[in-house]
This record gives sequence, C-alpha cells and structure tokens, in this order.
Amino acid sequence: MSVLLVVQARSSLPYILSKTALLSVFKRFWRWLPLIGFPLLFIGTTGFAFLGGLDESSTLFQRIAHHTALILCFLCLWIAVTRLVRNSCPTPIQTFWQTILAILGGSFAAFLAFQIPGGFADSTPAASIVYVKSALLSVPLAGLSFFVVQRLGLLVRFRRTRRSERNWRLMLLFVGIVSLIAIPLHLRNQFEIDLGPYGELFEILFLLSSITAIVFILMNSIRLAWIVRLSLKEKGAAIALGAVIVGLLVCVILAAAVNDITFVSTTLSLPFDFLRFYSAPLTIVTGLFLLFGLIYALTSVLSLIFHLPTTGDYRKSTDEMAAMQTLAGLLREVVESDKLHQWAVSTPVESGHANMAWLTVQNLESGSLTPHIVASRNIESERVNELCDVTAIHNTVVQTREPVLIQNTLIDSRTRKIKSGKFESLLAIPLSTRTEVLAVLFASSDVVHAFEREDVGAIGVFASQATLVLENARLLEAKIERERLANELAIARDVQQRLLPQAMPELPNLKLAASSVAAREVGGDYFDILELGEGELAFIVADVSGKGTSAAFYMAEMQGIFQAVARIESAPDIFLGYTNRALGESLEKNIFVTAVYGILNCHSGSVSLARAGHTPAILVDASGNAKLLHSEGLGIGLDRGELFGDVLEVEYLMLKPDDLLVLYTDGVIESRNLEGEEFGYDRLLQTVQAARNEDAQGVHDAIRQTVDEFVGTNERYDDDLTLLIIKWHGRKILSGGTAQTSLS
Amino acid sequence: MSNFSVAFRDSDIATILAVCGELDAHTAPELESAIKKCVDEGKIRLIVDGNELEYISSAGLGVFMAYIEEIRALDGDIKICALKPKVFGVFDLLGFPRIYHIVETEEEALSLFNQGIQPV
Repeated sequence: MSVLLVVQARSSLPYILSKTALLSVFKRFWRWLPLIGFPLLFIGTTGFAFLGGLDESSTLFQRIAHHTALILCFLCLWIAVTRLVRNSCPTPIQTFWQTILAILGGSFAAFLAFQIPGGFADSTPAASIVYVKSALLSVPLAGLSFFVVQRLGLLVRFRRTRRSERNWRLMLLFVGIVSLIAIPLHLRNQFEIDLGPYGELFEILFLLSSITAIVFILMNSIRLAWIVRLSLKEKGAAIALGAVIVGLLVCVILAAAVNDITFVSTTLSLPFDFLRFYSAPLTIVTGLFLLFGLIYALTSVLSLIFHLPTTGDYRKSTDEMAAMQTLAGLLREVVESDKLHQWAVSTPVESGHANMAWLTVQNLESGSLTPHIVASRNIESERVNELCDVTAIHNTVVQTREPVLIQNTLIDSRTRKIKSGKFESLLAIPLSTRTEVLAVLFASSDVVHAFEREDVGAIGVFASQATLVLENARLLEAKIERERLANELAIARDVQQRLLPQAMPELPNLKLAASSVAAREVGGDYFDILELGEGELAFIVADVSGKGTSAAFYMAEMQGIFQAVARIESAPDIFLGYTNRALGESLEKNIFVTAVYGILNCHSGSVSLARAGHTPAILVDASGNAKLLHSEGLGIGLDRGELFGDVLEVEYLMLKPDDLLVLYTDGVIESRNLEGEEFGYDRLLQTVQAARNEDAQGVHDAIRQTVDEFVGTNERYDDDLTLLIIKWHGRKILSGGTAQTSLS
Repeated sequence: MSNFSVAFRDSDIATILAVCGELDAHTAPELESAIKKCVDEGKIRLIVDGNELEYISSAGLGVFMAYIEEIRALDGDIKICALKPKVFGVFDLLGFPRIYHIVETEEEALSLFNQGIQPV
C-alpha cells in the first residue's frame, strides 16, 4: 500500500522539477545570460557612477565591488562575441575582411563616443560625465579587440592540435591573470592604498605574467598553417588585407600610446588615463588583444610574402595527390592497357613535373628488339625519336633497372637538342616488377636541371604505383587469354573425342576393347571400327607423327578417309594406297602417318592385314605363342609415288578360337619410367601372353595397368597412347564389347 | 636442356653431319636448320652419321623427309650411316630403308655417292 503511494507521489511531481527540465531551463538561461547580463551590468555600473556612487569618498569595498561588476560585465561581452564568432567558418580572406570592418566599425563607434559633450582635458577621471564617456569609449574598443582575437584565433587554430589548442587557451588565461593582478596595483596607484609587503609581490607577479602573456602571444602568432593552402591570387589579396589590418591597428595602438590628455579632445589619441580609471583590467586586456592582432597580422603578411614562391610546390604536391587518387580509382576497376598507358604519361605532365612524357614497352613476344611507344603526352609518338635515342635509353634502363637522368640534353650523346627549347632535360624511369621491367616512363622538361632528387622520387613512387596497375591488368589479360585458349582446347578435345568410336559394335564370335589417351588436350592417335556387312569388320589404328594441335587435324582427316573409303574399297592394300594418295596431298613434308589396317571376317576368323610403317600388331594364340606381324610397308606420306604401293605387303591370317589381335601405337612402346627406360616390345608381349585367357577388355586393362605401373608417378604420358584389342572366340558366343575412349 | 648436337665435317665428296644424343620434337629443329644450312650453301650430298644417336622419335624422322625432295631434285642425297640397332629399328619400322640408303659405315655411304647410286 505504501509502495503504491510513493509511486503515485512520484508520478504526480510537477514536470518542472524533473532533472531534464531543470537542465533545459538552465541551458536556456545560460544562453541568454550574457546578452542580458552585459547591458544590465553596464547600465548598472555606469548609472551607479553617474549618480555619484563612485567618488573620492567611496570605500574600498565599493570600488572592489564596482570593478568586479565591470569584470563580469565585460566577461558577458566576451562570451557574447565568442558565441557570435563560434559557428562561422570563414576563409582567411573573409577573416581579414571581417577584421578590417570590425576595426573600422569600432573606431567609428569610438569616434561617436567622443562627440558626447564634456571634454577630457579639463576634467578628472572621476567626474560623472567623463566617466560615462570613458565607459562608452571602452565598450567599442573592448568589443573590437575581442572580435579581432576571436576571428584571428580561428586562423591560429587552423589544423589545430592538442598543443596549439593548449597554447591558445594559455594565452587567454595569462592575459586574464595580468588584468586581474592589475586591479590591486591600480587601486594602490590611484588611491594610494597601502598594500604593505604585498605591493612588491604584486609587481613581480604582474611583470612575470605580462612576460608570459606576451610569450604566448608570440607563440600563437607564428601559427600560420593556413597560408600554404592559398593560391597565388589569394595570397596577394591576403597580403594587401593584412597590411591594412596592420596599419589600422598601429593607428589604434598609437592613439592609446600618445598619453597626452590635452590632445584628446582635438586629436585622435585615446584618453588612456581615463580608460584605466574606468577599468584597469579591461584596458590591459584590450591593449594585449590589440597587440596580438597587430603581431599576428604582421607575421601573416611577412610569412605570406615569403611563401609566395612556394605556391607552385604546394600545388604540385596537391596535383600529385590527385593523381594518386585517380590511380586508386583505376585500381578498383578493370581497365584496358591503352587507358592505363595514357594515364601513366598524363600524370607527370599534369602534376607539373614534366612538359612532355611518353611510355615505351618492349614487346618480346613479337621478337622485336626495338621498344615501341605505347602512349605519349604533348608530343606525337612518331616525333619522339627525333628527340632522343629511345632504344638506347630504354635498354639502359631495362638493364640497370635504375632511372636515367639527363640534366642537359645538349651535352648528352643520347639526346638531340631541338631548337624550340622544349626539350632540355630528360628523365627515364623503369616500371619494374620484382622480376622484369614492364615499361619505361620518359618525362622531359623545357628547362635544364629540371629534375631534382625529390622529383625523381615523386615520379618514381608514381611509377611503382603505375607498375602495380599495369601488372594487374597484364596478369588479368593473360589469365583471360589462358582461359580462352583452355576453352578452345576443351572444345577441340570434345570434338576429337567424338571422332573416335563411342561404343564397340555388337558382332558375333568377337569381343573388342579399345582406348586412346592423348598426351596433350588433343592428340594424333586414331583408332576405329567399321562394320562392312556380311560379318566383315574393318579396323584401324593410326598415329600421326608429332602431337598436339597439328597432329589432331591430320587425325581428323584420317578419320574422314577411313569412314568414307573403307566402306567402298575395303581391301587393305587398296585402302592404304588410297589413303597415302589422299593424305600425301595435304601432309606437311616432315609429317607422316603410320597405320595398321585390317579386315576380319567374324564367321570364318580370316584376317587380311597391312602395316603402313606402324608398330607391328601382335597375334597371341590360346597357348601363349606370340607373334609380331611385321609385314612390309612404308609410312603414309613418306613416298607420294608408286613406291608406297609397291612396298606394301598384305598379310593373310586364319584365326583360331581365342586368338588375340593387339593393335597399339608407339606411345605404348615408348612410354618411359622415371629412370628413362622404355616400356618396349618385350614387356608388352609378356603382358599380353600373361593376360591371354582374359577377354578383350581384360587384356586391354592388363596392358594399361602394366604401362601405368611402369611409368610410375609421371601423371601424363609422353606420347599419345592407343590400344585396340580384338579377341576372336570362334563360333562359340554371340556378343559385342565395350570401348573406352578417354583423352587425358 | 638440349642433349642433342650436330657436328659438321666436310669430306671430298660429301658433308658429314655427326648427330649426337636424342633426336625428338624438341631437338629436331636443330638438325633441320643444320640440313637447311647445308642446302643453302649448296652442299647437297649429305651423310648423317648416327653413331652417337641414342634415340629418335617420329618428329626426328620427319626431319629427313623435310628436304629430301629438294635435295634429290638437285641430284643430291641424304644417306644415313652407323645407326645403333635400336635406332635402326625405328627407321626400319617406318620403311625408311626402302627410300634412303641406310648403311653400316661412313665409307660405304661415301662410296655410294662416288658410284652415283641413288635409292629407289
């Protein structure tokens, strides 16, 4: 029950008492405090003095209270000015303009204050009307000095650091301390109040804090980082405006320094004693602030003058940064080489390092030893060779991997002086990766000794970045090209695979097994089977010399001839003779084709077989007797005349049941193991004899396995490797077989 | 890694090309350019001495075919001598002995040139 009451009580509390509400009220009050406080306190103190509250008879307490009120009053003014300035962010030129306007405005207000009747010359500072006049004069002067400090403060703290921020605050702090210490000293001097032993202490403190304040003023006056950013034109304007500020502030300070009261009513000098009487701390703060303004304007003008010549350098470095940013952009996107080359030659020119630039690349793939110019700027590529010996310089840079710097084209043998005076010095920088020099960047200038070490460094850094981009582009291009080629070869491989039988035909009394493995993507080996009808079967194993793409084309031609001719002219001698004529037309002189071709009658087991330079077929019977069928015959393409037919011998066999015919290409015989030893005929014969009781596929697998084991870890064969196994079973069974065609 | 070399030697009648090492697809261009050089210089009576030839591939055999027509048209010839049995086997398999003079010794080849006997 009681808990509930508490909750109710809490929730019913007025909103105004909640913490956030209080805070917002306080904030609002704080925001308006200086704007309300300054006029209230100013009118209060001035009214108090004007009505005679402050005269010879005033007590010390009254005076201290009066000074405190004035300090608070001008503190309000300071805060108000700070608020006014805080949110704006003007350029240096604008700042100078505003400062000038503020000084002129302040001076005008001071001039108006002078017009109030009641002269300074014939009055004491304590006279009421003079007091009011002093007060009205102090306000524009103080406001002006506050504004100048706040405005210039933004320049001082341009690119601010923790340290610069601290120095700035310490300067303000010490100016404040100096002004506070001035109070007792002022009271002592004005009213001869005895401070006792503290008098000297205050004097020493006053001196020390004054020196410190001035030291900080000087320290802050040399913070001029904003200058380097200005263009030449802006610097000129800033110098003029700065000089005006210096002039105006000198006038104001001189007016305060001419400490002669008789002048005041007639001249522009300020009634310094009266102002000090009004508020000594304020006078000191105003003075020190104006002093700061003067020194800062002075250092600005001098520094601007000294920085005029370096304007170009700053521009150069900003241009370099811009070039790097472009590069960063290029790195992100894929660009073609031409664009990159053009960018590489543009950058030295645009960054102001050079007036002409070109890029040379040596295309080793084309076999040319002369580098050619892939991009140029401010000069036509054809004209570059009129300027210098591009090849010689390019080669020197490539060999040494170091830049070549020719400071005077007149006295170097590799360059030619041209009359127009546009080609006076030359720099050639390598664009090199870890392993090679991709290109050489030439930059030339229209003055002698144009390239200092820094320039070489800058262009060098740029060159290494450019290398990175070029290398990336090149690798990408190479990768695309590789992939394209791989795709093309994959297609070629598919096409070639389709030229080989996809399955073995179903034939009575016979089993077949075959495979073909290419050493590369495509190969020059060929095997095929063709049913001729009436139980007859034509078979062929052929090998085009060499391997790879060219061999693959002849292999395709061979396939065409076999499929077309064997149906019509199936007899081995006629078929091979025709093939020799047909292929002989198209074969290159140093290319030949070897083949074993035969006809088998499935019913009778009779075989007619011819060998055109090919590795001899093996015949193994059921009891293990092996025979190489070494009939005479030239390779196809060796002789294009009558000799081929004259030499060719046809062998006639009568197969016994379970006889094996093994046809193969030299890839089987010449497969080498890790010691470089060849597989050879003996191993092949042994393998076939050992596996003779297997069916055709079993024999085939046994040979492949034995060869694989012999070759060992060599993943690829040195040569294309093809096998065709025919096993005749007599008239026992009716079945076909399987074909394996694989191209590794 | 070329383990193949060709040495030239001129005799009165013919130019002897002593081949050494393995003649395959990689080394064939060396022999081919050697033969071409001879033909260009007008040396059309060539004897290839295979005494030190350890191995020959089909690409190696192709070299002999590349210039033979041209040389024979000029009444010259390429004769092959002193082949090792294994290398001879490769030549023989392809039917080379029917088209080329392949003999035991250099002297035999020279005397064939002397007698002006052409194969085929």
